Amino acid sequence: MNTVVADITYRAMLGRKRILLLVLLPLALIGVAGLLRLIGGSSEDTAVTLMKTFAIGTILPLLGLIAGTGVIAPEIEDGTIMHLLSKPISRPVITFTKFVVAASLMAVFAAVPTFIAAFLVVRTESGVAYGFALGALFAGVAYAAVFLLLGVVTRHAVTVGVIYALVWEGLVGGYVPGARKFSIQQWAQSIADQVSSSAFFKADVPIGFAVPAMVIVTVAALLIAGQRLRGLSLTGDE
Amino acid sequence: MTEQTAIIHDIGYRHYEGPRLGRGSAALALAVHSLRGVFGLGRTTRSKIIPFLLVAIMLLPVVVSIAVMALLKQSAMGYPSYAVTMQAVLAIFLAAQSPYLVAPDLRFRVLPLYLSRPVTVLDYVGAKLAAMTVALFLLLAVPLTVLYAGELLVDLPGPPHTRDYIASMVCALLAAVLLASIGLALASFTPRRGLGVASVIAFYLFTSAVSAVFFGVLLSVGRDAAAKWALLVNPFFLIDSVQVALFGTEPSNGEGYPAGPWPALILVAVIALALTGLIMRYRKAASS
Repeated sequence: MNTVVADITYRAMLGRKRILLLVLLPLALIGVAGLLRLIGGSSEDTAVTLMKTFAIGTILPLLGLIAGTGVIAPEIEDGTIMHLLSKPISRPVITFTKFVVAASLMAVFAAVPTFIAAFLVVRTESGVAYGFALGALFAGVAYAAVFLLLGVVTRHAVTVGVIYALVWEGLVGGYVPGARKFSIQQWAQSIADQVSSSAFFKADVPIGFAVPAMVIVTVAALLIAGQRLRGLSLTGDE
Repeated sequence: MTEQTAIIHDIGYRHYEGPRLGRGSAALALAVHSLRGVFGLGRTTRSKIIPFLLVAIMLLPVVVSIAVMALLKQSAMGYPSYAVTMQAVLAIFLAAQSPYLVAPDLRFRVLPLYLSRPVTVLDYVGAKLAAMTVALFLLLAVPLTVLYAGELLVDLPGPPHTRDYIASMVCALLAAVLLASIGLALASFTPRRGLGVASVIAFYLFTSAVSAVFFGVLLSVGRDAAAKWALLVNPFFLIDSVQVALFGTEPSNGEGYPAGPWPALILVAVIALALTGLIMRYRKAASS
């Protein structure tokens, strides 16, 4: 953890247009929750649908993509990462610091709005709000680590991340039950299911698989990203 | 006074004396160059992977469908629902490729170089828009045409679905215009490619999730008419609703859409809004 690197990364993340998306998406989530309450759909069933398809299924991967790749990919793209890499800071420390920044952004912009949105619809009924907020927090951390790794590995990090989130988690996960085991979204739902006692909601992946998988994926992604950054080659793409 | 020794050698530089093609040719060249770039032609091998992978995914259901027609002698996939079924792939293609068209020129501030030629801002925007529209149209039209050719060759019992094919081709063009104008407008607001990809895909995911959530909730509280309106938030369902209104095809969602000219009017309004945003963005970029 290097506070100077963290400080610079925070400034890069919060001072550019990136902040617009980081703020707009959670606001949209809260707005949709408010609208749902207005049209009279303030049942537990509605809250679970909103959380599953919207908060965990849409907003969370998007924010993870923006935060996770945003902390490092733009620097690699325009080559300014050189200035950082030429300092006597170990590369794994750089990736870890950037990961901490991304994870903290996920907590603020993903987990907290998830809680607010669920709270707006059903208050604290059967722990739906707590469950999904906790799920969003842990899954947000995992997304941050995975997408950070993508940002180091490929120039097309955002595209590859979108393909993972949309095609693998969305399309393939929808038809092939086995694919759901390897989807961060489903792990988030397992955690949410563990906390909430809602009858409208049943996670597909057992919690005994989801939590270890989440930890392993996060740690492994960070280690690999640190290793990759040690041998980063800056070649032009276009 | 020293003797003059300086001379200018003729090292063979020549002026261009061929025909000067005007503004139209320049815009056309830019459009063709952009269209090639969308599919990664003339770029590195790595930038060909994603577009061609997505083209392959688009063709996959068509190939399976033709195989089913040939082996089981029954039609497998309808033409009108193809765009809605493949919406995720189309959205990924749009998100991945539209920043390529607009971001580098904005980022390296080379727009004044284009504008120092006969090309105007409108030509530039038009060329980029045409390139993206043609690319998206090809992405939809090629699989549809292959499927139609397959259907004709297999020669199923009963008449071929020519009407459905024509309807889906017209709507493929409408979808291409709509998606290209939205995609380019969103992508042009940031000079960074990654952020451009994220904002285009965020738009798609957000609209599709909003329409799905509101559709489900409004149906469950018994407000079916409002639920059908909620569907139109998703651009692909908007196109499908126009297709239903124009050609009377089967709605792909199984529920139907609001009747009347409203879907078509919304479609035109959205395209106009996106184009206005895009042109205003480039007016500003050209003057800075």
